[in-house]
Amino acid sequence: MAPRNLEKQLNILDYALSSLWRRRMKSLSVLLVFAAVIFLLASFQMVTQALTDKASQVLAYTPEITLQKMSAGRQEAIPLAYRDRLAGIFGIRRVVPRIWGYYFDEVRLANYTVMGMDVREMPEGDRLDTALAKGTIPGPEEQGRVVVGQSIVKALNLDERNTFSLFRPDLSLKTFTVSGAFSRDTDIMTNDLIVMSLADARDLYEIPAGLVTDLCVYVANPKEIGTIARKISAILPGVRVLTRPQIQKTYQVVFGWRSGFGSICLLAALASFVILAWDKASGLSPEERREISILKVLGWETSDILAVRFWESVIVSGLACIVGMTAAYIHVVYFAAFLFRPVLMGWSVLRPDLHLVPRMAVGNILLILAFTVVPYLAATVIPAWRSATVPADSALGG
Amino acid sequence: MLIELSGVSKIYNQGRANEVRALTGIDLGVEQGSMVCLKGPSGSGKSTLLAIIGCIFPPTSGKAAIAGRQLARLPDRFLTLHRRETIGFIFQRFNILPELTVLENITLPLLPLGVPPKERKQRAQELLERFAITHRAQFPAGQISGGELQRVAIARALINNQPIILADEPTAHLDTALSREFMEIMQQLKAGGKTIVIASHDPLVFEHPAIERTVTIKDGRIHVS
Repeated sequence: MAPRNLEKQLNILDYALSSLWRRRMKSLSVLLVFAAVIFLLASFQMVTQALTDKASQVLAYTPEITLQKMSAGRQEAIPLAYRDRLAGIFGIRRVVPRIWGYYFDEVRLANYTVMGMDVREMPEGDRLDTALAKGTIPGPEEQGRVVVGQSIVKALNLDERNTFSLFRPDLSLKTFTVSGAFSRDTDIMTNDLIVMSLADARDLYEIPAGLVTDLCVYVANPKEIGTIARKISAILPGVRVLTRPQIQKTYQVVFGWRSGFGSICLLAALASFVILAWDKASGLSPEERREISILKVLGWETSDILAVRFWESVIVSGLACIVGMTAAYIHVVYFAAFLFRPVLMGWSVLRPDLHLVPRMAVGNILLILAFTVVPYLAATVIPAWRSATVPADSALGG
Repeated sequence: MLIELSGVSKIYNQGRANEVRALTGIDLGVEQGSMVCLKGPSGSGKSTLLAIIGCIFPPTSGKAAIAGRQLARLPDRFLTLHRRETIGFIFQRFNILPELTVLENITLPLLPLGVPPKERKQRAQELLERFAITHRAQFPAGQISGGELQRVAIARALINNQPIILADEPTAHLDTALSREFMEIMQQLKAGGKTIVIASHDPLVFEHPAIERTVTIKDGRIHVS
């Protein structure tokens, strides 16, 4: 048999449940609004975390260091001969030239990202095939063959045909054959990407021989990235040296900033809800006043009335959390966070069809609870003091 | 004496502009197992006196001892605890919560005592049978008749087997037949050893043969005619 005090709390919890049920329409409306607020906050957290995770996973395949030549603060082509000047740096595994550019499709008003490189030159170039949904990455000898991202497949209707053409700067057409497509798991990086051989990219952009847009540096020991980057900067002072951790950090900052911006907007909604909850909790209907005074005459203490209010709030906020977070999970996983994509993904024309796997760290859950449940409890239980101190004698006649 | 009041006064909002002197110099003793009626017009101070006897608030001055415990200067929490153990209340209009079932209404005083559901139901069942309302146990209280409502209110006052029953204008909204039925039940309870104090200005109550003493209150004082 449970001790009396525990039994008392169970009785009070039971009464709180029946009280919520009696006012079910009011309780349900509060619960739905509260769940909606939690849904928005949790969705933001989940999408941000999922995007950051996804970016980190994809960036793991990118070169440890990327070199770009800068002139007057703008990027320009880098001479291939710079490769030879890096030969003396111990720890560099390989330097792979790359042509990276954008192509504006005037018909579809979309920007494609073009990447020309000989992937077999990359230290683990063979593994890139695992990022493909179908086909293979073209080798240097396979001229005119490309691998494309999922949005390119859709935009150029490449499910039904496997060739397409792009304009060179002199407006002559260059035709490509699709030899593969990237998997959806890599959408965040490959969505609008066309990968081709270095020679094809040089031909498309009419970049003279001996020049590329950037040099990809692969290092033997990732712990030495910083040291090697410093050595490169010393040897090639006019070159911008981008390390993978820097790029990762940039992604995190971008997603974090966007998420923060969205969260601030959502916090305004949360604040409005808390004010509403406070207002509802502080105003007592005549029926509620009467109920409290009857309970007090029947031997209920002020603390018992407060406990009823507390449990009511815990039940409402607990259910709202479960409903809100579950809805957020479904929104992110099954509907690819369609409500927040424009904010979090930017405003590019070709937006990835994201297949996100949300990850909620315990810290994130606690953060959401701290921003939703705690203010709600405070907004409902604190004003309940006023209601709980209704004098018992108001249940008696004059 | 189970209830003993000596020189009891009650002033509401003392020292403020809206100060009201509700009771002045009340001396009253009620023996165990007796039935007393507090008689007087509305606003005479009957309910205030009942509230002091019922440990709802202490008197402003004077001595009030209920079931052997002095109430003066007793903190609110102890008044509540003493009330739980000692006093069963029957309100004007019975003050039943209409959305709760009859069973839930009857067992309300047991919830803060930590009485488990099985025991609550068992105790309520005995009272439901005693007052012949077992068939209404699961009905919402708002859907039962006035006579049944009255019996629910009495059952709720008896659920914790308190020795004192206080009734505040219990027949004010009842017809003659129901008022008589109410007084018959009170008579039975008195015969069972309960001490009963009823505040009423209904002749059916204060002229009932079971009432041993009628105390007339006028303008907050006991009126001796």
